[in-house]
Amino acid sequence: MTRGTLLYIGQRTLLIVLTAFIVSSIVFIGVHQLPGNAFVGERRTSAASQQALLQHYGLDKPWPQQYGTWVTGVLTRGDLGESLKQRGQKITPLLLREARVSVSLGLFAMAFCIIFGMGLGILAAVKQNTWIDYVASFLATVGYSMPNFVTAFLLILLTVTGFYAWSGGNFYEDIGWGKLEQIPVPAIALGLLPMTLITRLTRASMLEVIRQDYVRTAWAKGLRSRVVIVRHALRNALIPVITVLGPITTGVITGSVVIEYLFGIPGLGKEFVSSIFQRDYNVVIAVFTFYAVLVGLANLAVDLVYPILDPRIRY
Amino acid sequence: MATAPSDYVFQDEFTADSTYEVGEAVSLWKDAWRRLTSNYFALFGLAVIVLLLLVAIVSQFWTPYPTWKQGIGPTYGGPSAAHPFGLDQVGRDILSRLMGGAAIALAVGLGTALLSSVIGIALGLLAGFYRGWVDTMISLLINVWYGIPDLLVVMLFVVIINSRELKWIIVAISITAWLNMARLVRGQTLALREREFVEAARSIGTRDVGLLTRHILPNALGPIIVQATYLIPAAILFEAFLSFLGLGAPPPEPSWGAMCAEGYKSLQLAAHVTLVPAFALAITLIALNAFGDGLRDALDPRMRR
Repeated sequence: MTRGTLLYIGQRTLLIVLTAFIVSSIVFIGVHQLPGNAFVGERRTSAASQQALLQHYGLDKPWPQQYGTWVTGVLTRGDLGESLKQRGQKITPLLLREARVSVSLGLFAMAFCIIFGMGLGILAAVKQNTWIDYVASFLATVGYSMPNFVTAFLLILLTVTGFYAWSGGNFYEDIGWGKLEQIPVPAIALGLLPMTLITRLTRASMLEVIRQDYVRTAWAKGLRSRVVIVRHALRNALIPVITVLGPITTGVITGSVVIEYLFGIPGLGKEFVSSIFQRDYNVVIAVFTFYAVLVGLANLAVDLVYPILDPRIRY
Repeated sequence: MATAPSDYVFQDEFTADSTYEVGEAVSLWKDAWRRLTSNYFALFGLAVIVLLLLVAIVSQFWTPYPTWKQGIGPTYGGPSAAHPFGLDQVGRDILSRLMGGAAIALAVGLGTALLSSVIGIALGLLAGFYRGWVDTMISLLINVWYGIPDLLVVMLFVVIINSRELKWIIVAISITAWLNMARLVRGQTLALREREFVEAARSIGTRDVGLLTRHILPNALGPIIVQATYLIPAAILFEAFLSFLGLGAPPPEPSWGAMCAEGYKSLQLAAHVTLVPAFALAITLIALNAFGDGLRDALDPRMRR
């Protein structure tokens, strides 16, 4: 940890805070431009009870004041407010609970796409212009253009009508969430597209590195192929791959909105979709801001990994 | 088990350059076209795109059945001679809806590519050419915007605008899609503005607008076209996501994403309702990406395969 690194982390943290502030205020303003409010169309529509509700949530005050109250609440107590639709439900614990679900799904998807993507990429590069390379490249090109819900459909068909029937119905339970065996199918659907990206990149950068003089020297020294490929070539080939981990994290987070909605997984993404449809704006603002912070932190983490792999990079 | 590494190390170096003929005068575009047409995967992409365009145009005047008409045949009816792709959950003809969906997909894809390119090129040119505080502001905007998951922005925008008309969906996707274009054009402009021909043009009194539009922009056109090509499948995918979540073109419209969403609950019962639009979407995206890759390789001679 040099002084430069700390300075860099400081700058980036500032950017994350700025992003969170801008995001939350834009969403706040945008949402308050909408006609009507979350309580229109509910059964209890007498003017008095409407007024009571508005007062309870502070919605009768002008929006700058509301925003001020919200920001102080977040900064001092970590309080993101209260859901408009699930009365009395504080958003912070709701968010934390759902974030655990989303993060476990996301991490599984990331692990899948990194391990398989790199493996396939290395294999394709080492066996360049053989059928292994062609199959891997073809899969990468096709998978890259596969919307995650299409992948999900195919996986569902495979597991539900194929595996499910084959295992006598014991393999996949479609009610509830929380068992380990429920993660893989949605996680693979989520991770397949980024996996193909990593495959393509790993293959390309491996091919470039493999032609370098020092790799030739390593071969000439008579080192075993595993040593040459893993220790000499792969380490350098990894650098361009790391650069896309940031965008991939964002992609996985974005994709999880669709995947959670499709599989009915009780995570942040599903909450976002349903809160948008229910016009539960407090939840929308909270989830949105949370995502912005999450993406910022993920990108920062990735950037801090670079210098470990490549000592030439310094902040 | 490792084959001798020398095999692929040396062979490639010898064969790579021999395909280049020296001394033949061809323009960049002609050369690019030749490279593009020798790439079969890109040609396949181009063929699919042309087919799609034709289908989209035809669908505006004629489809086998009206795209919205329910109860034409048995619900969940499988493929038959009268209905090659079968019928959906309310007995609509899937082929007709697929044709209508092609028009929606292409409209969103092309519209978004155009609009977001215009935004991205304008901001990129400004940032790269004027540098200083203009660049600082635009770069900050880009960096902040990058940190926000784009799908959420688009979903929220559609809700706030409170309209699901196609033009608003195009606007919604465009306000998040311009980032990469702006970055690319900014980088190109930063490099080009220092070149001698720009200096020469400036010295004979060409104004900034002239420098930007007549000297800098044309020289950055290759990468811009490639980037714009990639924007089309990205936008189509986005519209599919939106429709799938129920925020795209409103219900009777035959958007592919919406067709997938309507069908997936009966995936086990009648998979074709979902799989047909899903595959149409996948094939379209594969074709567009393949064409984009081909174009990139053709316009950038350094990216030899």
